[in-house]
Amino acid sequence: MIATVIFLLCCLLSTARILSEAPRPSSLATGDIAQRSDQRFAAVKAALPQRGVVGYVGDPGIPALGDYYLAQYALAPLVLDHSPNHSLVVGNFMTSPTSRELPAGLRLVTDFGDGVMLFAAKDAR
Amino acid sequence: MALALSAILLLSCGWLLVGLGWSRQAPLASDLLLRVCLSVGFGLGIFSAVFFLSLLFHFTRLMLVDLAVLALLLAGFFVLRTSTAITIVHGAEKEGNVPAWLHRALTAAFALVLFAALYAAIMRTLAHPHGDGWDAFSIWNLHARFLFRGGIHWRDGFTPLLPWSHPDYPLLLPAAVAHFWTHLGNDATAVPALISFLFTFSTAGLLYSALSILGGRVPAMLGGIALLSTPSFIEQGTSQYADVPLSFFILATIALLCLNDNREQNDPSHRYPGFLALAGLAAAGAAWTKNEGLLFLCAIVAARLVGVVRENSFGNWMARARQVVPLLAAMAPVLLLIAYFKHSIAPPGDLFSDPAATFHKLVDPARYWAIIKWYVKGFFRFGHWLLIPGTLVMIGFYFAAGKEADPKSQAGIRTSVLALILTLIGYFAVYLITPYDIYWHLRFSLTRLFLQVWPSSIFLFFLCIKNGNDMCGADTAVREFEP
Repeated sequence: MIATVIFLLCCLLSTARILSEAPRPSSLATGDIAQRSDQRFAAVKAALPQRGVVGYVGDPGIPALGDYYLAQYALAPLVLDHSPNHSLVVGNFMTSPTSRELPAGLRLVTDFGDGVMLFAAKDAR
Repeated sequence: MALALSAILLLSCGWLLVGLGWSRQAPLASDLLLRVCLSVGFGLGIFSAVFFLSLLFHFTRLMLVDLAVLALLLAGFFVLRTSTAITIVHGAEKEGNVPAWLHRALTAAFALVLFAALYAAIMRTLAHPHGDGWDAFSIWNLHARFLFRGGIHWRDGFTPLLPWSHPDYPLLLPAAVAHFWTHLGNDATAVPALISFLFTFSTAGLLYSALSILGGRVPAMLGGIALLSTPSFIEQGTSQYADVPLSFFILATIALLCLNDNREQNDPSHRYPGFLALAGLAAAGAAWTKNEGLLFLCAIVAARLVGVVRENSFGNWMARARQVVPLLAAMAPVLLLIAYFKHSIAPPGDLFSDPAATFHKLVDPARYWAIIKWYVKGFFRFGHWLLIPGTLVMIGFYFAAGKEADPKSQAGIRTSVLALILTLIGYFAVYLITPYDIYWHLRFSLTRLFLQVWPSSIFLFFLCIKNGNDMCGADTAVREFEP
């Protein structure tokens, strides 16, 4: 019986962690990362074909891969190939996009703001 | 409204499928809970398979297909169900022998833990409607979006251009989500969130109800408390990953095997393949949920074959076949579906892409040592418990309470323990040959792999331990379900 009581107390300790780490009602209003990403890409999505494969360029480095995954999630069923070698290329930049040089071989078609851009290959019509 | 109707349709399909494997018996309270929890998982499995087949065969009237499946199941339910009595030996407390204070403490703790888990799950779901963590929207919900939004081009989502989205992962979750979305006409975030929620609490309900039948109410409550107070179970359960759904199917397979073997031990004269067939379906559900489930399916089949050969006299082939064939027969249709998906739709996985490098890794002792160290660390850490690891608490409880001298469902327990050990060995082998950096891979997946077998481990632990009934002075009882 003592073992059962100790067992229960240990479990209740962890239940305290479950409760303490649960999001507070006040934090629910901020929206989650995927929801914000869906909103960020809503405008460029309307300018892209409904399906097929387009290119993708974004910030360099491993941490920016998450931004690529979010862009793909927002734009599905369009496939985003992480490469600039396509006639249409989605740009996704988190930091100071205005001062950034355009990727070589691409021309800016539309800047949708908030770091989201649409490029076209210079040799494409 | 459409969501509620779809949910009713799903539960009806699941209920009828589970009913096909059950006898025509009057449901008792704990059996009712067991069947409802199984119905959730099996219903989602049916929804997933129906949606996938509808895409393959270009059926656009999904509701008509659903109704046809429902009608078939209904016909099977009334025509094929057996009326054989099922006799199960189980622990039943005599309420008078359980100290009142302990009973009250257990009930209060169970209620507290359940409400805390429900509260945390709801808050986490509201805070992260698309799922909490990269895998939710880079794998599972992304695949669901491709299936739903892609129309006739749904295969685009399974292109080698997106290797990070693991396009070779099976489709139980994404196709079930897309099925709901098709009924709704939009890709509401409520659907994957609700499915995650259902899987989480159905796993807890399944654990409680199966332990209640086979062990008694005290171990059932202890098991339920152990699972629902595991912080990472609630975190993962609401993250919209596939690990908790997989844990559901692993537990369902093991619980049904134990029910079957308990019945076999108690009443070998009556043939009753229902539980075994449902166990096969549950194992196939695991394989249709995640690649690790395929590993578990192989492990359970191997363990079952070992058990059958060990426990039957040589030469008695018919008896052996009866204990394996229903399991395999029920798996077969889903395995065909998985084989088609892997062969014709999904690009090859990355695990065996470089045989020379794989061999080199297999003979590198440093990799073995690294995995062993992480397994030991993970054993104590994976639940994200506060202060005292749950695994340590259970080891302490084992030494304090002792092992059941003659646990019920012995054959089922042995088979299940062997299957879980083989599954963990399989995970070990995958880490050995992983094409990724081994430390990165261990860091980001090992705790989830342990979580996959955690509900089943709790189930087997409380079946084997001398806890509830003996501790509280209760004895065992035989319950017979008459037609």
